[in-house]
Amino acid sequence: MRVDYNSLNNLLKVPSKQELVSLCQNAFLYRKESPAQWPDSLIQSTSDMLGLSVAETQQCLLTLSHLIKAALFQGSTDPQEVITLFPDNFHKNLRDLLTKIIRDKMDSWRADAVNSQVSLPRLVDMDWRVDMMTSSDSVARMSVPTCILNLQIQPPAAHLDERPLAEKVTVELSEETLHTALDGLGKIRDQLASVAHR
Amino acid sequence: MAATFHFSKETPPDSMFSDFQSLNKFQNELFGHLVDYAFQFLLEPSKSSRLMSQLEDFAQENGVGVGALRNVFKSLVSLPNVALKKSLSPSQVQEDLRNLGLSEEKAQMVSGHFEANLGSLSRGALGQTLMVNQLVDIEWKFGVTASSSELDKVGNTFLQLKLVINTGNGMKNVFLELTLPQFYSFLHEMEKAKASLEYLG
Repeated sequence: MRVDYNSLNNLLKVPSKQELVSLCQNAFLYRKESPAQWPDSLIQSTSDMLGLSVAETQQCLLTLSHLIKAALFQGSTDPQEVITLFPDNFHKNLRDLLTKIIRDKMDSWRADAVNSQVSLPRLVDMDWRVDMMTSSDSVARMSVPTCILNLQIQPPAAHLDERPLAEKVTVELSEETLHTALDGLGKIRDQLASVAHR
Repeated sequence: MAATFHFSKETPPDSMFSDFQSLNKFQNELFGHLVDYAFQFLLEPSKSSRLMSQLEDFAQENGVGVGALRNVFKSLVSLPNVALKKSLSPSQVQEDLRNLGLSEEKAQMVSGHFEANLGSLSRGALGQTLMVNQLVDIEWKFGVTASSSELDKVGNTFLQLKLVINTGNGMKNVFLELTLPQFYSFLHEMEKAKASLEYLG
């Protein structure tokens, strides 16, 4: 299935602006999937609304999603720049309406895209506990503090509607290790502060 | 013998008494070497091969049987070792040694060494204390994402951490990524942990 901007003219049949906004939102949400993998209910309700066949609906949504991806990459909220994404002979009113929707939605789409971009597993949550060791097999009496750290780390989602299980990593730090670790983290903070002041 | 010992509730085996009797036969200087060897070994228990060669050389130079020397040496090592576990004082060690039949001078020599090395010995013992999933190393990198396949210009700050953990079954590397707000709250939490650790320590 190919991108065809003429198929977007079908969107003129959308009854309200609200419907068009939610269609754009869906096109953004499923931008990484081919239309064949979109939920059937979504395709069905859209094809009923637009009075199109399933294949025509898929074509239209694919193009919309392509447009949104291009706009997102460009990342501009300047209408003059967004308009350059459309072919010259595109329907003027529809172009202006889509441009407005894209501009309104840009901030939340960008935030979403940044959050879902390729990355190492992310930190979700952490817990810590400080213990006092009072005795062990090598020393009968002692009082040495130790810190247990639990990190919940979540790998990026492989599929849109699944939430991968967070891996829980538990480590034990001696006072010395904690100091060294904090030294390193302190260095990062200083560097960040100096970047911010520049 | 009715003497009570600090390092053991029961009377030590006869072999231990005879070991210290034989240690008495060494001249003080030679005995001093043996005590040196014993404490070197206690400070670095992993270097047992060094101890073995030291004992062999010692046995050759002084015409003693290596096997017998090793047995006698065991008692010399075990007493300070047990004393460390039970956190006995140097004077208690000296008393035990005297009661085991070691001459006053030699007992003083051992307890003197014990006192001098007490700090490093207990540090070593604490270092051997069991740690579950010990954190060995942290490597980090932070930067700013400039661009991605989806966004031409991004510009958000990230921090990547690599934790090296000793699982007891080899090292395990854990990679994770933090956003800037996460980093600050992570740092804050770690500082809270440090504060309560210092409060206890």
